[in-house]
Amino acid sequence: MIDPTFLEGIIKILFVFVLISAGLIISTRNLSSVLTAYTIQSFLLAAVSSLLYMIDGKNQLLLLAVLTLASKVILIPYFISRIEQKIKIGRDLHFAYLEPTPSLLLSIGLIILSYTFLSGVFKGLPLSKLFFFGAVIGLSLTLMGMLVVFSRKRVITKALGYLSMENGVLMFGLFVTELPFIIEVLIIIDLIILVILTTIMAVGMDSSIEEYRQKFRKLQIWTGGESQ
Amino acid sequence: MNTSFLLFALLNPLFALLAAPLYMALIRKIKAYAQGRKGPRLFQVYYDLKKLMKKETVYSPTSSWVMRFTPYLNLSTLLVCSLFVPLVFVPEPAGGLGNIIVFLYLLALERFFTALGGLDAGSAFGGMGSSRSMSLAAVIEPTMVISFAALAFVLKSLNLHEMFALTAGKILPISPTLVLVSISLFIILIVETGRLPVDNPATHLELTMINEAMILEQAGKNLALLELAHALKQLLLMGILINTILPVGLSTEIDAGKIAVSTLLFLVKAGLLAVIIGLFESSLAKMRLFRLPAFYVMAFFFSAITILIEVFA
Repeated sequence: MIDPTFLEGIIKILFVFVLISAGLIISTRNLSSVLTAYTIQSFLLAAVSSLLYMIDGKNQLLLLAVLTLASKVILIPYFISRIEQKIKIGRDLHFAYLEPTPSLLLSIGLIILSYTFLSGVFKGLPLSKLFFFGAVIGLSLTLMGMLVVFSRKRVITKALGYLSMENGVLMFGLFVTELPFIIEVLIIIDLIILVILTTIMAVGMDSSIEEYRQKFRKLQIWTGGESQ
Repeated sequence: MNTSFLLFALLNPLFALLAAPLYMALIRKIKAYAQGRKGPRLFQVYYDLKKLMKKETVYSPTSSWVMRFTPYLNLSTLLVCSLFVPLVFVPEPAGGLGNIIVFLYLLALERFFTALGGLDAGSAFGGMGSSRSMSLAAVIEPTMVISFAALAFVLKSLNLHEMFALTAGKILPISPTLVLVSISLFIILIVETGRLPVDNPATHLELTMINEAMILEQAGKNLALLELAHALKQLLLMGILINTILPVGLSTEIDAGKIAVSTLLFLVKAGLLAVIIGLFESSLAKMRLFRLPAFYVMAFFFSAITILIEVFA
Protein backbone atom coordinates (compact mmCIF):
# COMPACT_ATOMS: atom_id res chain seq x y z
CA MET A 1 0.00 0.00 0.00
CA ILE A 2 1.38 3.39 -1.00
CA ASP A 3 1.39 6.21 1.52
CA PRO A 4 -1.70 8.45 0.90
CA THR A 5 0.16 11.68 1.75
CA PHE A 6 2.70 10.84 -0.96
CA LEU A 7 -0.14 10.27 -3.43
CA GLU A 8 -1.70 13.56 -2.40
CA GLY A 9 1.63 15.31 -3.09
CA ILE A 10 1.61 13.84 -6.58
CA ILE A 11 -1.99 14.91 -7.12
CA LYS A 12 -0.98 18.46 -6.14
CA ILE A 13 1.72 18.47 -8.81
CA LEU A 14 -0.78 17.11 -11.34
CA PHE A 15 -3.12 19.98 -10.43
CA VAL A 16 -0.44 22.46 -11.40
CA PHE A 17 0.18 20.69 -14.70
CA VAL A 18 -3.55 20.56 -15.45
CA LEU A 19 -3.71 24.34 -15.01
CA ILE A 20 -0.57 24.79 -17.10
CA SER A 21 -2.13 22.78 -19.92
CA ALA A 22 -5.21 25.00 -19.67
CA GLY A 23 -2.89 28.00 -19.91
CA LEU A 24 -1.30 26.50 -23.01
CA ILE A 25 -4.70 25.97 -24.61
CA ILE A 26 -5.40 29.65 -23.99
CA SER A 27 -2.12 30.99 -25.28
CA THR A 28 -0.63 28.65 -27.89
CA ARG A 29 -0.91 29.68 -31.51
CA ASN A 30 0.05 26.38 -33.11
CA LEU A 31 -3.03 24.25 -33.70
CA SER A 32 -1.33 20.90 -33.20
CA SER A 33 0.19 22.16 -29.92
CA VAL A 34 -3.27 23.17 -28.70
CA LEU A 35 -4.44 19.64 -29.46
CA THR A 36 -1.40 18.16 -27.69
CA ALA A 37 -2.10 20.34 -24.66
CA TYR A 38 -5.69 19.07 -24.60
CA THR A 39 -4.53 15.46 -24.91
CA ILE A 40 -2.06 15.94 -22.06
CA GLN A 41 -4.74 17.59 -19.95
CA SER A 42 -7.08 14.64 -20.45
CA PHE A 43 -4.27 12.23 -19.69
CA LEU A 44 -3.53 14.10 -16.45
CA LEU A 45 -7.19 13.86 -15.52
CA ALA A 46 -7.10 10.12 -16.08
CA ALA A 47 -3.99 9.99 -13.88
CA VAL A 48 -5.69 12.01 -11.12
CA SER A 49 -8.68 9.69 -11.31
CA SER A 50 -6.56 6.56 -10.98
CA LEU A 51 -4.58 8.09 -8.07
CA LEU A 52 -7.86 8.83 -6.34
CA TYR A 53 -8.77 5.20 -6.93
CA MET A 54 -5.57 4.21 -5.11
CA ILE A 55 -6.58 6.40 -2.16
CA ASP A 56 -10.32 5.67 -2.10
CA GLY A 57 -10.57 2.27 -3.72
CA LYS A 58 -13.84 3.00 -5.54
CA ASN A 59 -14.04 1.00 -8.76
CA GLN A 60 -16.01 3.77 -10.40
CA LEU A 61 -12.93 5.98 -10.38
CA LEU A 62 -10.84 3.38 -12.16
CA LEU A 63 -13.55 2.93 -14.79
CA LEU A 64 -13.66 6.67 -15.25
CA ALA A 65 -9.89 6.76 -15.75
CA VAL A 66 -10.08 4.04 -18.39
CA LEU A 67 -12.99 5.73 -20.13
CA THR A 68 -11.20 9.09 -20.15
CA LEU A 69 -8.08 7.48 -21.50
CA ALA A 70 -9.92 5.72 -24.29
CA SER A 71 -12.14 8.59 -25.36
CA LYS A 72 -10.33 11.81 -24.60
CA VAL A 73 -6.73 10.75 -24.97
CA ILE A 74 -7.09 8.48 -27.98
CA LEU A 75 -10.37 8.79 -29.85
CA ILE A 76 -11.19 12.52 -29.78
CA PRO A 77 -7.63 13.76 -30.43
CA TYR A 78 -7.47 11.29 -33.34
CA PHE A 79 -10.57 12.78 -34.95
CA ILE A 80 -9.42 16.33 -34.38
CA SER A 81 -5.99 15.68 -35.80
CA ARG A 82 -7.75 14.29 -38.89
CA ILE A 83 -9.60 17.60 -39.20
CA GLU A 84 -6.39 19.52 -38.73
CA GLN A 85 -4.79 17.59 -41.58
CA LYS A 86 -7.77 18.28 -43.81
CA ILE A 87 -8.03 22.01 -43.27
CA LYS A 88 -4.34 22.52 -43.98
CA ILE A 89 -3.80 25.43 -41.62
CA GLY A 90 -1.26 25.10 -38.86
CA ARG A 91 -1.89 28.15 -36.74
CA ASP A 92 -4.63 30.11 -35.08
CA LEU A 93 -3.58 33.73 -34.85
CA HIS A 94 -7.00 35.28 -34.53
CA PHE A 95 -8.13 36.42 -31.13
CA ALA A 96 -11.24 38.34 -30.23
CA TYR A 97 -11.46 40.71 -27.22
CA LEU A 98 -8.31 39.40 -25.48
CA GLU A 99 -4.76 38.58 -26.56
CA PRO A 100 -3.18 35.48 -24.93
CA THR A 101 -1.03 37.38 -22.43
CA PRO A 102 -3.89 39.29 -20.76
CA SER A 103 -5.98 36.10 -20.95
CA LEU A 104 -3.37 34.27 -18.88
CA LEU A 105 -3.29 37.03 -16.29
CA LEU A 106 -7.08 37.03 -16.26
CA SER A 107 -7.12 33.29 -15.68
CA ILE A 108 -5.04 33.71 -12.51
CA GLY A 109 -7.84 36.07 -11.46
CA LEU A 110 -10.39 33.40 -12.39
CA ILE A 111 -8.64 30.83 -10.20
CA ILE A 112 -8.68 33.20 -7.23
CA LEU A 113 -12.30 34.06 -7.98
CA SER A 114 -13.38 30.42 -7.99
CA TYR A 115 -11.41 29.89 -4.79
CA THR A 116 -13.24 32.67 -2.95
CA PHE A 117 -16.56 31.63 -4.45
CA LEU A 118 -16.23 27.97 -3.55
CA SER A 119 -14.85 28.65 -0.07
CA GLY A 120 -18.13 30.46 0.59
CA VAL A 121 -20.17 27.61 -0.84
CA PHE A 122 -18.38 24.79 0.96
CA LYS A 123 -18.16 26.54 4.32
CA GLY A 124 -18.94 24.01 7.01
CA LEU A 125 -18.90 20.97 4.77
CA PRO A 126 -16.56 18.16 5.82
CA LEU A 127 -14.34 18.38 2.75
CA SER A 128 -10.58 17.82 2.98
CA LYS A 129 -8.28 20.56 1.67
CA LEU A 130 -7.15 18.52 -1.29
CA PHE A 131 -10.69 17.75 -2.38
CA PHE A 132 -11.68 21.36 -1.95
CA PHE A 133 -8.78 22.46 -4.09
CA GLY A 134 -9.68 19.85 -6.71
CA ALA A 135 -13.09 21.48 -6.91
CA VAL A 136 -11.47 24.91 -7.26
CA ILE A 137 -9.28 23.64 -10.09
CA GLY A 138 -12.29 22.03 -11.76
CA LEU A 139 -14.29 25.24 -11.66
CA SER A 140 -11.39 27.39 -12.85
CA LEU A 141 -10.69 24.92 -15.66
CA THR A 142 -14.30 25.33 -16.78
CA LEU A 143 -13.99 29.11 -16.67
CA MET A 144 -10.68 29.01 -18.54
CA GLY A 145 -12.30 26.81 -21.20
CA MET A 146 -14.98 29.46 -21.51
CA LEU A 147 -12.22 32.06 -21.93
CA VAL A 148 -10.88 30.00 -24.84
CA VAL A 149 -14.34 29.75 -26.40
CA PHE A 150 -14.83 33.47 -26.46
CA SER A 151 -11.28 34.68 -27.08
CA ARG A 152 -10.49 32.44 -30.05
CA LYS A 153 -11.99 33.02 -33.45
CA ARG A 154 -11.29 29.73 -35.21
CA VAL A 155 -14.02 27.16 -34.80
CA ILE A 156 -11.59 24.30 -34.20
CA THR A 157 -9.98 26.00 -31.19
CA LYS A 158 -13.41 26.94 -29.93
CA ALA A 159 -14.28 23.24 -29.98
CA LEU A 160 -11.10 22.47 -28.05
CA GLY A 161 -12.05 25.16 -25.52
CA TYR A 162 -15.40 23.49 -25.10
CA LEU A 163 -13.74 20.11 -24.60
CA SER A 164 -11.43 21.66 -22.00
CA MET A 165 -14.52 23.06 -20.23
CA GLU A 166 -15.89 19.55 -20.06
CA ASN A 167 -12.61 18.40 -18.52
CA GLY A 168 -13.23 20.99 -15.83
CA VAL A 169 -16.67 19.56 -15.14
CA LEU A 170 -15.16 16.08 -14.90
CA MET A 171 -12.53 17.35 -12.46
CA PHE A 172 -15.19 19.07 -10.35
CA GLY A 173 -17.23 15.87 -10.38
CA LEU A 174 -14.23 13.78 -9.34
CA PHE A 175 -13.59 15.81 -6.23
CA VAL A 176 -16.97 17.00 -5.03
CA THR A 177 -20.26 15.85 -6.36
CA GLU A 178 -19.80 12.17 -7.22
CA LEU A 179 -21.64 12.40 -10.51
CA PRO A 180 -23.39 9.11 -11.23
CA PHE A 181 -21.22 7.07 -13.53
CA ILE A 182 -23.91 6.78 -16.18
CA ILE A 183 -23.98 10.58 -16.57
CA GLU A 184 -20.22 10.65 -17.11
CA VAL A 185 -20.61 8.04 -19.83
CA LEU A 186 -23.39 10.04 -21.45
CA ILE A 187 -21.29 13.20 -21.42
CA ILE A 188 -18.41 11.42 -23.04
CA ILE A 189 -20.66 9.97 -25.73
CA ASP A 190 -21.98 13.48 -26.34
CA LEU A 191 -18.45 14.72 -26.73
CA ILE A 192 -17.56 12.03 -29.21
CA ILE A 193 -20.66 12.83 -31.25
CA LEU A 194 -19.76 16.52 -31.14
CA VAL A 195 -16.32 15.77 -32.45
CA ILE A 196 -17.61 13.43 -35.15
CA LEU A 197 -20.06 16.11 -36.25
CA THR A 198 -17.29 18.63 -36.46
CA THR A 199 -15.29 16.16 -38.51
CA ILE A 200 -18.16 15.83 -40.95
CA MET A 201 -18.51 19.57 -41.10
CA ALA A 202 -14.80 20.03 -41.70
CA VAL A 203 -15.86 21.90 -44.77
CA GLY A 204 -16.10 25.08 -42.76
CA MET A 205 -13.61 24.31 -40.05
CA ASP A 206 -10.90 26.53 -41.51
CA SER A 207 -12.87 29.71 -41.09
CA SER A 208 -14.34 32.00 -38.47
CA ILE A 209 -18.03 31.75 -37.58
CA GLU A 210 -19.01 34.56 -39.96
CA GLU A 211 -17.19 33.01 -42.90
CA TYR A 212 -18.60 29.67 -41.88
CA ARG A 213 -22.14 30.90 -42.26
CA GLN A 214 -21.33 32.33 -45.66
CA LYS A 215 -19.83 29.04 -46.75
CA PHE A 216 -22.92 27.24 -45.56
CA ARG A 217 -25.10 29.65 -47.45
CA LYS A 218 -23.04 29.17 -50.58
CA LEU A 219 -23.36 25.42 -50.31
CA GLN A 220 -27.07 25.82 -49.45
CA ILE A 221 -26.77 23.62 -46.40
CA TRP A 222 -28.25 26.06 -43.94
CA THR A 223 -29.60 29.53 -44.56
CA GLY A 224 -29.55 30.66 -40.97
CA GLY A 225 -33.24 31.53 -40.98
CA GLU A 226 -32.83 34.17 -43.66
CA SER A 227 -34.62 33.81 -46.95
CA GLN A 228 -32.40 34.21 -49.95
CA MET B 1 30.17 37.49 12.60
CA ASN B 2 31.34 33.97 13.33
CA THR B 3 34.29 32.01 12.01
CA SER B 4 32.10 29.82 9.86
CA PHE B 5 30.85 32.87 8.05
CA LEU B 6 34.29 34.42 7.71
CA LEU B 7 35.59 31.28 6.05
CA PHE B 8 32.53 31.24 3.80
CA ALA B 9 33.06 34.90 2.89
CA LEU B 10 36.59 34.02 1.79
CA LEU B 11 35.93 30.77 -0.03
CA ASN B 12 32.60 31.28 -1.73
CA PRO B 13 33.26 34.47 -3.75
CA LEU B 14 36.71 33.19 -4.70
CA PHE B 15 35.30 29.91 -5.93
CA ALA B 16 32.47 31.67 -7.76
CA LEU B 17 34.84 34.08 -9.44
CA LEU B 18 37.16 31.32 -10.59
CA ALA B 19 34.49 28.88 -11.75
CA ALA B 20 32.06 31.33 -13.38
CA PRO B 21 33.78 31.76 -16.77
CA LEU B 22 34.21 28.00 -17.06
CA TYR B 23 30.46 27.46 -17.43
CA MET B 24 30.17 30.22 -20.00
CA ALA B 25 32.78 28.30 -21.96
CA LEU B 26 31.11 24.93 -21.36
CA ILE B 27 27.74 26.15 -22.65
CA ARG B 28 29.49 27.60 -25.70
CA LYS B 29 31.25 24.28 -26.26
CA ILE B 30 28.00 22.30 -26.03
CA LYS B 31 26.35 24.64 -28.50
CA ALA B 32 29.30 24.25 -30.84
CA TYR B 33 29.04 20.44 -30.68
CA ALA B 34 25.30 20.67 -31.34
CA GLN B 35 26.07 22.66 -34.47
CA GLY B 36 28.73 20.18 -35.57
CA ARG B 37 31.68 22.46 -34.77
CA LYS B 38 34.51 21.78 -32.39
CA GLY B 39 34.30 25.11 -30.58
CA PRO B 40 36.98 26.95 -28.62
CA ARG B 41 38.91 25.26 -25.80
CA LEU B 42 37.33 25.45 -22.36
CA PHE B 43 40.07 27.71 -21.05
CA GLN B 44 39.90 30.08 -24.00
CA VAL B 45 37.48 32.28 -22.09
CA TYR B 46 40.10 32.82 -19.35
CA TYR B 47 42.71 33.77 -21.98
CA ASP B 48 40.20 36.17 -23.51
CA LEU B 49 39.58 37.81 -20.16
CA LYS B 50 43.33 38.08 -19.57
CA LYS B 51 43.80 39.65 -23.00
CA LEU B 52 41.01 42.15 -22.42
CA MET B 53 42.50 43.09 -19.05
CA LYS B 54 45.71 44.17 -20.76
CA LYS B 55 44.02 46.15 -23.50
CA GLU B 56 43.56 49.90 -23.54
CA THR B 57 40.14 51.17 -22.44
CA VAL B 58 38.56 53.54 -24.95
CA TYR B 59 35.65 55.80 -24.01
CA SER B 60 33.20 57.54 -26.28
CA PRO B 61 33.68 61.33 -26.08
CA THR B 62 30.04 61.78 -25.00
CA SER B 63 30.28 59.34 -22.11
CA SER B 64 30.24 60.38 -18.46
CA TRP B 65 31.33 58.81 -15.17
CA VAL B 66 28.50 56.27 -15.47
CA MET B 67 30.30 54.31 -18.13
CA ARG B 68 33.55 54.24 -16.13
CA PHE B 69 31.77 53.32 -12.94
CA THR B 70 29.35 50.64 -14.22
CA PRO B 71 31.83 47.74 -14.67
CA TYR B 72 33.23 48.13 -11.16
CA LEU B 73 29.76 48.49 -9.66
CA ASN B 74 28.44 45.45 -11.51
CA LEU B 75 31.26 43.17 -10.51
CA SER B 76 31.25 44.31 -6.89
CA THR B 77 27.45 43.95 -6.68
CA LEU B 78 27.70 40.40 -7.92
CA LEU B 79 30.57 39.63 -5.58
CA VAL B 80 28.31 40.72 -2.73
CA CYS B 81 25.57 38.54 -4.25
CA SER B 82 27.97 35.62 -4.19
CA LEU B 83 27.94 35.89 -0.39
CA PHE B 84 24.23 35.11 -0.56
CA VAL B 85 24.29 31.86 -2.49
CA PRO B 86 26.11 28.99 -0.79
CA LEU B 87 28.12 27.07 -3.38
CA VAL B 88 30.87 25.40 -1.37
CA PHE B 89 29.16 24.97 2.00
CA VAL B 90 26.26 26.47 3.93
CA PRO B 91 27.46 28.74 6.75
CA GLU B 92 25.58 29.78 9.84
CA PRO B 93 23.52 32.87 8.95
CA ALA B 94 25.15 36.17 9.89
CA GLY B 95 23.63 39.63 9.83
CA GLY B 96 21.30 40.36 6.94
CA LEU B 97 23.43 38.44 4.47
CA GLY B 98 21.44 35.83 2.65
CA ASN B 99 18.23 37.81 2.69
CA ILE B 100 16.37 37.05 -0.50
CA ILE B 101 14.88 40.52 -0.84
CA VAL B 102 18.31 42.16 -0.62
CA PHE B 103 19.51 39.64 -3.20
CA LEU B 104 16.75 40.62 -5.63
CA TYR B 105 17.47 44.32 -5.10
CA LEU B 106 21.17 43.80 -5.75
CA LEU B 107 20.34 42.08 -9.04
CA ALA B 108 18.01 44.97 -9.90
CA LEU B 109 20.79 47.47 -9.11
CA GLU B 110 23.12 45.61 -11.44
CA ARG B 111 20.52 45.57 -14.19
CA PHE B 112 19.79 49.27 -13.74
CA PHE B 113 23.42 50.27 -14.04
CA THR B 114 24.00 48.01 -17.05
CA ALA B 115 21.11 49.77 -18.80
CA LEU B 116 22.43 53.18 -17.75
CA GLY B 117 25.89 52.26 -19.03
CA GLY B 118 24.33 51.27 -22.34
CA LEU B 119 22.64 54.66 -22.66
CA ASP B 120 25.70 56.61 -21.55
CA ALA B 121 27.85 56.11 -24.63
CA GLY B 122 25.19 57.77 -26.76
CA SER B 123 25.20 55.17 -29.52
CA ALA B 124 21.98 54.06 -31.14
CA PHE B 125 22.55 50.38 -30.31
CA GLY B 126 23.17 50.97 -26.61
CA GLY B 127 20.00 53.01 -26.32
CA MET B 128 17.95 50.34 -28.01
CA GLY B 129 19.44 47.60 -25.87
CA SER B 130 18.75 49.52 -22.66
CA SER B 131 15.23 50.36 -23.70
CA ARG B 132 14.51 46.71 -24.49
CA SER B 133 16.19 45.47 -21.36
CA MET B 134 14.15 47.79 -19.18
CA SER B 135 10.82 47.05 -20.85
CA LEU B 136 11.46 43.32 -20.52
CA ALA B 137 12.59 43.80 -16.92
CA ALA B 138 9.19 45.28 -16.17
CA VAL B 139 7.71 41.91 -17.09
CA ILE B 140 10.35 39.53 -15.73
CA GLU B 141 10.73 41.18 -12.34
CA PRO B 142 7.26 40.33 -11.05
CA THR B 143 7.94 36.79 -12.24
CA MET B 144 11.23 36.71 -10.34
CA VAL B 145 9.65 38.08 -7.20
CA ILE B 146 6.82 35.55 -7.40
CA SER B 147 9.19 32.62 -8.03
CA PHE B 148 11.48 33.53 -5.16
CA ALA B 149 8.42 34.09 -3.00
CA ALA B 150 7.30 30.57 -3.89
CA LEU B 151 10.75 29.28 -2.93
CA ALA B 152 10.63 31.20 0.35
CA PHE B 153 7.15 29.93 1.04
CA VAL B 154 8.00 26.28 0.43
CA LEU B 155 11.22 26.41 2.48
CA LYS B 156 9.66 28.63 5.18
CA SER B 157 12.43 31.21 5.33
CA LEU B 158 13.46 34.51 3.74
CA ASN B 159 17.14 33.76 4.16
CA LEU B 160 18.88 31.86 1.37
CA HIS B 161 21.38 30.35 3.84
CA GLU B 162 18.61 29.02 6.07
CA MET B 163 16.71 27.70 3.05
CA PHE B 164 19.65 25.77 1.74
CA ALA B 165 20.67 24.58 5.20
CA LEU B 166 17.26 22.90 5.18
CA THR B 167 17.73 21.22 1.80
CA ALA B 168 21.48 20.56 2.11
CA GLY B 169 22.63 16.99 1.83
CA LYS B 170 19.27 15.57 0.79
CA ILE B 171 19.29 13.45 -2.31
CA LEU B 172 15.85 14.43 -3.54
CA PRO B 173 14.09 17.80 -3.19
CA ILE B 174 12.29 17.89 0.16
CA SER B 175 8.91 18.89 -1.25
CA PRO B 176 7.38 18.00 -4.61
CA THR B 177 6.49 21.66 -5.09
CA LEU B 178 10.20 22.46 -5.34
CA VAL B 179 10.24 20.67 -8.69
CA LEU B 180 7.69 23.18 -9.92
CA VAL B 181 9.56 26.15 -8.45
CA SER B 182 12.73 25.04 -10.15
CA ILE B 183 11.05 25.12 -13.55
CA SER B 184 10.34 28.82 -13.00
CA LEU B 185 13.88 29.29 -11.70
CA PHE B 186 15.19 27.74 -14.91
CA ILE B 187 13.18 30.18 -17.03
CA ILE B 188 14.53 33.04 -14.90
CA LEU B 189 18.07 31.74 -15.40
CA ILE B 190 17.57 31.72 -19.16
CA VAL B 191 16.04 35.19 -19.23
CA GLU B 192 18.43 36.85 -16.79
CA THR B 193 21.55 35.62 -18.54
CA GLY B 194 20.24 36.68 -21.93
CA ARG B 195 20.12 33.29 -23.60
CA LEU B 196 17.97 31.93 -26.39
CA PRO B 197 14.99 32.17 -26.93
CA VAL B 198 15.16 35.62 -25.29
CA ASP B 199 18.44 37.02 -26.47
CA ASN B 200 21.27 35.56 -28.49
CA PRO B 201 24.55 35.81 -26.60
CA ALA B 202 26.63 34.59 -29.54
CA THR B 203 26.23 37.44 -31.96
CA HIS B 204 26.68 41.17 -32.32
CA LEU B 205 24.92 41.22 -35.65
CA GLU B 206 21.35 40.84 -34.69
CA LEU B 207 19.19 43.91 -34.50
CA THR B 208 17.24 42.37 -31.65
CA MET B 209 20.18 41.91 -29.30
CA ILE B 210 19.60 43.06 -25.76
CA ASN B 211 22.47 42.34 -23.41
CA GLU B 212 25.20 42.55 -26.06
CA ALA B 213 23.86 45.90 -27.25
CA MET B 214 24.29 47.44 -23.83
CA ILE B 215 27.94 46.44 -23.49
CA LEU B 216 28.79 47.11 -27.13
CA GLU B 217 30.57 50.39 -26.35
CA GLN B 218 32.65 48.98 -23.52
CA ALA B 219 36.24 48.07 -24.22
CA GLY B 220 39.35 46.65 -22.61
CA LYS B 221 39.39 46.12 -18.89
CA ASN B 222 35.82 47.37 -18.45
CA LEU B 223 34.51 44.81 -20.92
CA ALA B 224 36.41 42.07 -19.10
CA LEU B 225 34.85 43.12 -15.80
CA LEU B 226 31.37 43.21 -17.32
CA GLU B 227 31.77 39.77 -18.88
CA LEU B 228 33.03 38.40 -15.61
CA ALA B 229 30.05 39.93 -13.82
CA HIS B 230 27.72 38.37 -16.36
CA ALA B 231 29.32 34.95 -15.90
CA LEU B 232 29.12 35.36 -12.13
CA LYS B 233 25.42 36.17 -12.31
CA GLN B 234 24.86 33.06 -14.36
CA LEU B 235 26.76 30.89 -11.89
CA LEU B 236 24.85 32.28 -8.91
CA LEU B 237 21.46 31.68 -10.51
CA MET B 238 22.63 28.21 -11.48
CA GLY B 239 23.70 27.71 -7.85
CA ILE B 240 20.25 28.62 -6.56
CA LEU B 241 18.61 26.23 -9.01
CA ILE B 242 21.02 23.40 -8.15
CA ASN B 243 20.67 23.88 -4.41
CA THR B 244 16.90 23.77 -4.83
CA ILE B 245 16.51 20.75 -7.02
CA LEU B 246 19.63 18.65 -6.45
CA PRO B 247 21.22 19.58 -3.13
CA VAL B 248 23.02 16.25 -2.71
CA GLY B 249 26.43 16.57 -1.09
CA LEU B 250 26.15 20.21 -0.03
CA SER B 251 27.94 20.41 3.31
CA THR B 252 26.74 22.35 6.34
CA GLU B 253 29.82 21.74 8.47
CA ILE B 254 33.28 23.24 8.30
CA ASP B 255 35.40 20.27 7.48
CA ALA B 256 38.13 20.35 4.84
CA GLY B 257 37.16 16.99 3.39
CA LYS B 258 33.44 17.71 3.29
CA ILE B 259 33.96 21.14 1.75
CA ALA B 260 36.18 19.64 -0.93
CA VAL B 261 33.58 16.98 -1.73
CA SER B 262 30.80 19.53 -1.81
CA THR B 263 32.80 21.85 -4.09
CA LEU B 264 33.69 19.03 -6.47
CA LEU B 265 30.09 17.85 -6.55
CA PHE B 266 28.95 21.37 -7.27
CA LEU B 267 31.37 21.57 -10.20
CA VAL B 268 29.91 18.34 -11.59
CA LYS B 269 26.28 19.35 -11.02
CA ALA B 270 26.82 22.79 -12.53
CA GLY B 271 28.51 21.09 -15.49
CA LEU B 272 25.43 18.94 -15.94
CA LEU B 273 23.18 21.99 -15.76
CA ALA B 274 25.40 23.80 -18.27
CA VAL B 275 25.00 20.87 -20.67
CA ILE B 276 21.23 21.05 -20.25
CA ILE B 277 21.26 24.82 -20.87
CA GLY B 278 23.43 24.34 -23.96
CA LEU B 279 21.10 21.70 -25.39
CA PHE B 280 18.04 23.79 -24.49
CA GLU B 281 19.53 26.76 -26.30
CA SER B 282 20.47 24.70 -29.33
CA SER B 283 16.97 23.31 -29.66
CA LEU B 284 15.19 26.66 -29.79
CA ALA B 285 14.97 29.53 -32.21
CA LYS B 286 14.99 33.08 -30.99
CA MET B 287 11.55 34.48 -30.21
CA ARG B 288 10.32 37.70 -31.67
CA LEU B 289 10.73 40.56 -29.22
CA PHE B 290 7.00 41.18 -28.92
CA ARG B 291 6.28 37.53 -28.25
CA LEU B 292 8.54 37.51 -25.20
CA PRO B 293 5.98 38.78 -22.68
CA ALA B 294 3.90 35.65 -23.41
CA PHE B 295 6.95 33.53 -22.49
CA TYR B 296 7.45 35.40 -19.23
CA VAL B 297 3.79 35.38 -18.35
CA MET B 298 3.88 31.60 -18.64
CA ALA B 299 6.59 31.54 -15.95
CA PHE B 300 4.59 34.01 -13.89
CA PHE B 301 1.47 31.87 -14.27
CA PHE B 302 3.46 28.82 -13.23
CA SER B 303 4.87 30.40 -10.06
CA ALA B 304 1.58 32.02 -9.12
CA ILE B 305 -0.16 28.64 -9.34
CA THR B 306 2.63 27.02 -7.32
CA ILE B 307 2.09 29.55 -4.55
CA LEU B 308 -1.69 29.11 -4.71
CA ILE B 309 -1.38 25.34 -4.44
CA GLU B 310 1.22 25.52 -1.71
CA VAL B 311 -0.79 28.01 0.34
CA PHE B 312 -4.30 26.69 -0.13
CA ALA B 313 -4.08 22.97 -0.86
